[in-house]
Amino acid sequence: MSTSTDTPISEPKRWDLEPESEYRFELDPGTSLAIKLVEGQAEVFGFELAEAKVYLFGSECKAAVYTWKGCAIQVTGVPSTEYVSNETPMRIYANLHIALEQMRVRALRQVRGSPVPSQEANARSDPPRVLVVGPEHSGKTTICKILTNYAVRAGQGWTPFLVNVDPGEGGWAAPGTVSVAPVKGPIPTASSANPLGTAATNAPMSLASNTLLPLAYWYGHPQTKRNPLLMDRMTRNLGENMNDRFELDPEGRASGLIVDTPSSYASGPSANDHRHKLINACIDAFKINVIVVVGHEKLNVEMQRSYGANLMVVKIPKSGGVVELDSSYRDRVTNYQLHAYFYGQVIKPPAGITNGSLGGESLTDLVLSPSSTVINFNDIIIYRIGSDAMAPSDALPVGARRTVSEMQPVVVDPASPGSRLLNAVLALLSPQASDESERYDEEVLDLTLVGFLIITNIDITTKKMTVLAPNRGSFTGRTAVVGSFEWQEQ
Amino acid sequence: MSHVYPQSIYGQPSYGVPVPGFSAQRATPASYQQHYFQPPPPPQPQQQAAPPQPLFHSDPNSFRRDFTSRLSNLTINSRVHIQDLSMMAQDHPHFSSIVAQSLDHHIRQVPPWMKLPGFYLLDAISKNVFEPYASVFSRIVTSLFMDAYFQVDSSTRNKMEEMLLTWRTAGPEHSPLFGPETQDRLQTSVWGDQSFATKNQVLSELQFTLGQMERALQANPRDRTPEGHIHVLNQLRRLVERGVSQPELRQILEQLRTLARSALPPPVVRPPPPTPRPVAAPYYNQHPPFPPQAHAPPPRPYSHPPPLSFNSIPQAVDVAPPQAPVPALLPSNLESLMASLVKSGVLSVPGTSTPTAQGTSTPEVAPPLALSEREDPSAVKDMNTREYRNFILSEPIALTTSDITRARPRIVELLYERQTSQCKQCGIRFADTKLGKKRLEDHLDMHFRQNSKVDQGRGHSRSWFTSLENWIHDASINEKGKGPAHSLSLTSTKVDNAKREEELRAQFVVIPPGAEAQSVSCPICKETLQSEFLEDEEEWVWRNAVKKDDKIYHATCHAEATTSTSSIAARLRTEKQQGSRSATPEVYPMTGIQSTTLRSTPPPSLLRKSGSRSPPQLISPGSKVAGVKRKVDHHDSDPLEDGTGTPPFKKLALSSTPIPSS
Ligand SMILES: [Zn+2]
Ligand SMILES: [Zn+2]
Repeated sequence: MSTSTDTPISEPKRWDLEPESEYRFELDPGTSLAIKLVEGQAEVFGFELAEAKVYLFGSECKAAVYTWKGCAIQVTGVPSTEYVSNETPMRIYANLHIALEQMRVRALRQVRGSPVPSQEANARSDPPRVLVVGPEHSGKTTICKILTNYAVRAGQGWTPFLVNVDPGEGGWAAPGTVSVAPVKGPIPTASSANPLGTAATNAPMSLASNTLLPLAYWYGHPQTKRNPLLMDRMTRNLGENMNDRFELDPEGRASGLIVDTPSSYASGPSANDHRHKLINACIDAFKINVIVVVGHEKLNVEMQRSYGANLMVVKIPKSGGVVELDSSYRDRVTNYQLHAYFYGQVIKPPAGITNGSLGGESLTDLVLSPSSTVINFNDIIIYRIGSDAMAPSDALPVGARRTVSEMQPVVVDPASPGSRLLNAVLALLSPQASDESERYDEEVLDLTLVGFLIITNIDITTKKMTVLAPNRGSFTGRTAVVGSFEWQEQ
Repeated sequence: MSHVYPQSIYGQPSYGVPVPGFSAQRATPASYQQHYFQPPPPPQPQQQAAPPQPLFHSDPNSFRRDFTSRLSNLTINSRVHIQDLSMMAQDHPHFSSIVAQSLDHHIRQVPPWMKLPGFYLLDAISKNVFEPYASVFSRIVTSLFMDAYFQVDSSTRNKMEEMLLTWRTAGPEHSPLFGPETQDRLQTSVWGDQSFATKNQVLSELQFTLGQMERALQANPRDRTPEGHIHVLNQLRRLVERGVSQPELRQILEQLRTLARSALPPPVVRPPPPTPRPVAAPYYNQHPPFPPQAHAPPPRPYSHPPPLSFNSIPQAVDVAPPQAPVPALLPSNLESLMASLVKSGVLSVPGTSTPTAQGTSTPEVAPPLALSEREDPSAVKDMNTREYRNFILSEPIALTTSDITRARPRIVELLYERQTSQCKQCGIRFADTKLGKKRLEDHLDMHFRQNSKVDQGRGHSRSWFTSLENWIHDASINEKGKGPAHSLSLTSTKVDNAKREEELRAQFVVIPPGAEAQSVSCPICKETLQSEFLEDEEEWVWRNAVKKDDKIYHATCHAEATTSTSSIAARLRTEKQQGSRSATPEVYPMTGIQSTTLRSTPPPSLLRKSGSRSPPQLISPGSKVAGVKRKVDHHDSDPLEDGTGTPPFKKLALSSTPIPSS
């Protein structure tokens, strides 16, 4: 106060929150925030905070500290927006959670053959398989996260499967994927880079949700309308594999699944649009029995009409804390996600904070070292899927048909001037069938993703390129697919 | 809550477990006696390779050089090194300020994970040599301690908190080791304003006292007194965890401290203990000799001396009256503390019946065993599977928009009140049941292993995602937080198979009423299923069992049968039987549909019978049963043009399993 220092240390501010209220904040690029629970109980999107531990937030994180029973928190740093709200839909979300828990306990009862009381005789015993739909900025991802976190916090050993079919959303690794991960512990919220937890690294982590093992397919684009056929196929592939796993693990199946969808599934011209088809793909693939519509009456009516006869459709309000985001924000988040995938989370704590944790982990454990290697052009085979590799359709002569379908993998030659491979995000796929006779043209569409690569340099004269890989594991002889995401240095 | 750190979890606890009888065999070199506030260190055990004996220095510079260089080797918690340095300090009291400077410099410049051993040395010198060191250290200890405290990880922080609590009574006449002001400043910095008791602090101190009781019990299993104390302290802890008011917290804290002070042996005249006093023994040699080891033994950790000796608690001691406006207590009797707190209304016991309070009107005569019998069953909220199910199903919430909008959820009870044990490190909660405690222990064990891994490998990196086969079989290497290896191979899942098998064997099916006497055998291996009574379910169950299509299989047999049909090998076999695919149209016998595709794509996976795949599965030529799992094929015609958006093949497959509706 009386002295001035070089680095402005913002005084920690104390906020006393009444029961069922929340402290909301938004961060500007390059800033961070530290929050410490001083008293009472508090949670961030269903993730309970430990008392006295310092939690850091960064990468334009927008979140809220909610309390059921009241609490006091201490906040250090300067958010671009901060306020307390007493109006939250948390009670409704909690009721929804309890209704889903009812489905889980009945499902487990059936798996174990536990006796069914007479008043329960007619109750169904399907585990909850929930599709969350809603327009842009309705907080779908947050709701999926809260429902998942409450399930794992029930203390019943649930491992819900969190599915992400929004390729514009990074989920646990990077955007462009259709993926699923079993969730064994509560998912923290700390940065926009990892909204649904973090894929595993070889660093020791204290939270299970920071070591997720996703199963992912590489769609390659942020927009589902770019290649709905591919979305459809990958969604169904994912469902098939999940069913295989459930076959092997009936108890695991009882925990159910929660599907986060892109906003394109909720809006746009209805009639000949692809969205109904993609919703159908989800319903088939994941055997959806509950549709949760977030804050949109028209969509609710539409879902009731289309699916209300066969499955449950419920509407819940969106939270007032949800922020409208522009497209430049989306681009920055994509960039944060890709960087976090390779380099981990690097966040500078607010001045004066030395003991913070990010998503429950110590900062040093979150820093990753990718590896950069020079390889020959023919060390990996790179594909681009479908017409994207070809001329746009309006450039084709009238009446001419495409020679390449939307689903056909086309080999990309790094040496060709129009390869557009420099700084492109590549998806490294799992190995192709070792048996030649098992191979087929579209096999690359059905191979799961093992990681991402970035081509940071191409030398046509020596036929070599420099590749950024997440680790030192070898990938020569492997297949990769390029999409429309591009790497930007930060 | 604060952690319960069972000794068994932390292989090398900061507080050693004394071995009864061992300390009694040690001789005490009489010549050192007068220097010591506490009994002096016995000779070093021969089993340990001790550093060269310190020389006596008369020159401050050579002392500084020697001490600093020895100190620089104190990189881990090594008892030998701490002992060596402590002796050196003891022999050179006139250089105490050099010791303080060197130690201050050392602790400040080493990385956070290396700081704790330095503090253990400071602790050892202060407690065992005391003056002049305690007064010299008291000038530097506050900032040194707090600066380090904010840099170290949480497990180290817990150890530092524990150490700080021992300092409170480690001085002469059980005064604070570094004086009351220093102690107060440190406690305020760690736990906040000392006139404002936080729940965390009370739990910390409760846990600290509990830990000492447990050690006392381990040290002298014949003395059952600590057992009763542990029991009551645990109950007190539960009350605090459930939430008590600020004045209540304050009073509990004062009572605890009064109790801790009075529980100390009288400072001047120490009554001869009836048994060897392992707890009060100094930290040196609390451990038995090393067992023979093939490899170089790890250095012994320093175990700093607990200040309290509970097995010598006098039965009646005059104590200063407690300052809190609660009835005077017999401080050695924890149970009456609890009872008085409840009776005087300081603590309000949730729930209606409070037999704990009422039953303790004459607690002094109640043997510890009777305590557990008197324990209020409702006080321990058991969340076993069945109870949880009943609780959840009794909530009047149907999955409809109007119900979930209107109902008032009992969510707080579910998420918080029924799970009172919380991991301090990550916030995860556990039920206050036997099972919950076990889970918390496993959980803390996991953290411990994580923490001990932190500095081993530098340069972490993102792992490849797991393979499809491993994912489907949940071969997660990752369970305990270790990332999968950076290998793209599909093999090397042996360890995970063991874990998976363990999980399978834990699965069970409840035996239907009336079928208890029946002998049921597994359709695969034909062996009889084993039944047992499962306390958690309160039911008779078949273990290692899974129910499929109204048949009971061994979970392991079922998994094996299912797995083998979906394994890569099986897939290859299947595909071989199919013969090579040609570009000619294929007819799928089971559907009769002629494929119009001209692509060389595999047959679709539609023929897999969803939901009815029972082991053992026969793979007949012509049908692709479990083979092509990741291939959902399309016709040339756009499947999305189809009315339902479902590819025709797929739709056929789905038609046998209609969309579940509930
Ligand atoms: Zn924990
Ligand atoms: Zn069997």
